[in-house]
Amino acid sequence: MNYLAAFLLAIVSYSLVSNVVLSRFYGICSFIGVGNKIKSAASMGIAVSFVIIMAALICYPIYNFILVPAGVPYLDTITFILVIASLVQVVGLFIKKFSPSLYKALGIYLPLITTNCAVLGVVSENTASKLDFGMSMANAIGTSIGFLVVIIIYACIRERLESSNVPKAFKGIPIALITAGIMAIAFLGLSGLIG
Amino acid sequence: MITVLWAFLILAGLGLLLGLGLAIASIVLHVKEDERISAVEKMLPNYNCGACGYPGCHQMAENIVSGAETNLGKCKPGKQDKNYDPIIAYMNEHPDEDGTKHVPTVKK
Repeated sequence: MNYLAAFLLAIVSYSLVSNVVLSRFYGICSFIGVGNKIKSAASMGIAVSFVIIMAALICYPIYNFILVPAGVPYLDTITFILVIASLVQVVGLFIKKFSPSLYKALGIYLPLITTNCAVLGVVSENTASKLDFGMSMANAIGTSIGFLVVIIIYACIRERLESSNVPKAFKGIPIALITAGIMAIAFLGLSGLIG
Repeated sequence: MITVLWAFLILAGLGLLLGLGLAIASIVLHVKEDERISAVEKMLPNYNCGACGYPGCHQMAENIVSGAETNLGKCKPGKQDKNYDPIIAYMNEHPDEDGTKHVPTVKK
């Protein structure tokens, strides 16, 4: 029971308090790049979430049961990248098969999930802070929820911004960056949520 | 010395395993595509440099075949005799099913 409470608390902490985009500053590229339409933002969020959770699920046993016993834990980064790249390829093939229009909308940002530091960040954090399997999954799930929620909120705001009267100098990306900054300040208010 | 061997073996094994998985996935999730796209893609330089504004040669080929891209000159590393001329000839010979031709031109 205690472990379950810690697990749930960790999910809340990783998703809201130390949010992946707004306070750990991972995964900004796709956040800015795809966060202008709600539909493509939501699909991007789901794709990234899937890759993060699967990567954490696969990388944990590879690191702890293969790399560490064999005495080569320094191979972690290259192994994780290998796993992540393969996962992204599979997700890409899957989306291309079942939703070609979505494949077009995501464009170059879909293969770029490979280099999305949110994914590598989560698995590296898991091994670096020696989290056990449950906590690694809590980190992965919390980070995914955090990314999904934040990219959807961001896309909603940006869709509203498109029809509002923005000063000429701030049109497009500048106002989007300011929006992200204000969101980061807003999420700072959640920092006292968990004692 | 022996740990170095382990490093090689582990990476090679993982690569092989994941490669096999990807090969299976690409067969299971295969999408039927216009065969002219891969033909045009082969005639492009295949540097995937992105100078044309598309993410890679495949997307450029898709747009040439669909007729959305009419200017081959956007492909900066392309050569007149090696790339542009064969594509123009190919698109002349292979019209859409309803007979419309999307023949690109070269504007540098």
